[in-house]
Amino acid sequence: MESDFQHCIRCTICVENCPVFRVNPEFPGPKQAGPDTERFRCDEETSLDKWIGLCSQCKRCEIACPYGVNPAEIILREQLSYGEKHFRPLANRLFANNYYLGTFSSALALFVNKFASLTFIKKVMNVFGLSTYMPFPGFYVHSLGRSWRWKGRRNSPRKVVFFYGCYLNFNRPDIGRGIRDLLASLGLKVVMPKQVCCGLPALGNGDIKTARKFARRNAEILAGYIDKGYDVIYACTSCGLTLTHDYPGILNIPSGKKIAENTYNLNEYLVKLIDEDYIKPEFAPVDLKVAYHIPCHLRASGIGYPAASLFEKIPGLEYHVLDDHCCGLSGSYGFKRKNQETAIKLGRTAAATLKACNPDYIVSDCGACRMQLGHFAGLPALDPSEIVMRSLANPAKITKK
Amino acid sequence: MSSPYDVVVIGGGMSGLMAAISLVEKGRNVAVISKGDPVCCLSTGCIDLFSRGDDPIGGIELLPDYHPYRLIGVERVKESLDIFQDIMRVAGLPYVGDLRVNRKILTPFGTDKITCLVPETMESADCDPDEYIHVISFKGLKDFYPSYITSGHVNSGYSIFDAGVSSTSAIAERFEDKDFLQEFISWLLNLSLPDGKIAFPAVLGTRSSMSIFNEISNRLERDIFEIPTIPPSIPGERLFNRFKNLFLEKGGSLYWGKEIASVEKLGGRIEAVTLSTRGRPTRVQGTLFILATGSFVSGGLYASMDDVRETVFDLETYLPGERKDWFNEDFFIPGHTIEKAGIRVDSTLRPLDSEFSNLFVCGSILAFTEVMKYGCGHGTAIATGVAAANMCEELL
Repeated sequence: MESDFQHCIRCTICVENCPVFRVNPEFPGPKQAGPDTERFRCDEETSLDKWIGLCSQCKRCEIACPYGVNPAEIILREQLSYGEKHFRPLANRLFANNYYLGTFSSALALFVNKFASLTFIKKVMNVFGLSTYMPFPGFYVHSLGRSWRWKGRRNSPRKVVFFYGCYLNFNRPDIGRGIRDLLASLGLKVVMPKQVCCGLPALGNGDIKTARKFARRNAEILAGYIDKGYDVIYACTSCGLTLTHDYPGILNIPSGKKIAENTYNLNEYLVKLIDEDYIKPEFAPVDLKVAYHIPCHLRASGIGYPAASLFEKIPGLEYHVLDDHCCGLSGSYGFKRKNQETAIKLGRTAAATLKACNPDYIVSDCGACRMQLGHFAGLPALDPSEIVMRSLANPAKITKK
Repeated sequence: MSSPYDVVVIGGGMSGLMAAISLVEKGRNVAVISKGDPVCCLSTGCIDLFSRGDDPIGGIELLPDYHPYRLIGVERVKESLDIFQDIMRVAGLPYVGDLRVNRKILTPFGTDKITCLVPETMESADCDPDEYIHVISFKGLKDFYPSYITSGHVNSGYSIFDAGVSSTSAIAERFEDKDFLQEFISWLLNLSLPDGKIAFPAVLGTRSSMSIFNEISNRLERDIFEIPTIPPSIPGERLFNRFKNLFLEKGGSLYWGKEIASVEKLGGRIEAVTLSTRGRPTRVQGTLFILATGSFVSGGLYASMDDVRETVFDLETYLPGERKDWFNEDFFIPGHTIEKAGIRVDSTLRPLDSEFSNLFVCGSILAFTEVMKYGCGHGTAIATGVAAANMCEELL
């Protein structure tokens, strides 16, 4: 472990950037929860930091810290250690195993979707610590994992593995298929091998064992493809951050470094192909005004905002880039009742700043951000690829409201 | 926009962002790389131009001719601060002040800070000694003691409001809630305060600070002002956020939160820099580069036991005298010798004795800036930032 907490000079820049600290006085903020308390945490001690789970792991403190301290990671380690030594609530157990939940729910999609919308069931969920301030995302029987019938292009010098992640897999397979077809239409060989959850929900819910189990399975599959000359592409920025940051980092996966080095954000990859003159897409005008919400985990990836570079190339598209606010949902964080109030406050603030641009659509790379902001802004929320697909006249059609 | 950029600015503080904004406003393709949020977020948000006298511009004219202000010329300094004020007016965070006359603002320690340009929320902070001042504080707010603050004012009083939260960030966030603001204003009206000014810690909102400030002032029908707090400093954060967002709005690209891992050189020029991540380093390519990484506190300069190093390009660093001369028990005294350390540049802001022909340097990393000695931090940042942008503009 990096003992970087000693580099903290207590400047409070991380505190200024902590969304949870601003709205929930129970959370002492990243400085205190991270580097300040770290010196009192010994290996043998049982963690007493009851508030440690209030950190949403948005990583804004790490992005802001000018001294290379990683408060969010210090806190994450403590969350995991707290999770090991204390009883984990049902909500945490459920969300840690989000992948199985998704597999089950999409198999029984019709039933589950109806069931989750019943008022009585919502009450039961609340009793078990789940929050229902906004509807749970709908599930699809024909998830991405069941796209085995798709064959695609046989051969191409550029080969990519699409790591689609749970949200696209179970809840928005249409976007996933759109991205797959977009990549194929640009002349790439695309494969979507059987894959599991990236492991982030388990990490975020204090269960490192489950996170490692998922990560090992993915690592074996992805590393195999990388050895055969494939690049890995992700669209969900949280999955992406887990693959590139946590696999070689906190999860300590042996092939983690190799995966991190060969894994690309979808939009970053498109920009790269354009820069290398490998593709020369002709962007048709898109007469839309969008507010582009930068997910915290995209900021944390350190690759800039590549979708904005693509938007720049699309004639007629008016876009506003906004990166000051966390949407507040942070994956499963906001779906837990104890975080509900925090998530709602942050969601309202972020949605209000997006709406101030008076957009036709909200755009964000992260499925959770889209759910939350779409809900609070009352506007449709799209993945950047949906805008790109529209410009490149891909089958996936979106129309102006 | 994407790589290769016309200009890559390294450092996202006042100077770097000022340079970057000046360039994107002229339609250039610009990237800003910053390893974290700048010290500007911790500042009072006031612009110190030259604080060791009554007349800032007059003071600058008397500085040694190797000081960065003198290198770029007094006229350019004035122009750059006009540009800054124009930018902030448009950004909805207007600044007031006269470049020829310094002003005083009250600090949380009851002392006066001498500065030049202040946000409008501190315009009335220069008080007559016998004027009545009523200080409002918030329950639990640390290091903001009304009796301390008014120790220099016989004619004063204070009241404390319970906002339910006690940190500057959290209180400022509450002010963004309209119901909370109304509740607060009603409470203030019920206090039936005597005639005079009302002072608040600088927590009156974040994004909508000006409208919150104006509403309180109008409802109370009197002058009010904010007193900057110790960090987290909301006026510093407001200034930084407006700057950063303006840059984004104009189409600039940000790379935030990662340090520079390596520099690619090609025939006496910098070709690209890469950012360290746990995986593949992110490559940022540019035609011209601006170095605005700040001094020791910001990490632009790093002091080891026997040397001072520039951390990104390993540029030749000027060191004042012998190692024994760098020592002084008090780092923050005005005129500490080590303050002179930094990168020496010519009048085009190109580093002296450097192998790179496409690099410009601005901000407090410049040698002889002596921010503490002259009280000129944000002033030199803004002036040299605009100057570096102009130098780039000439070459593009």
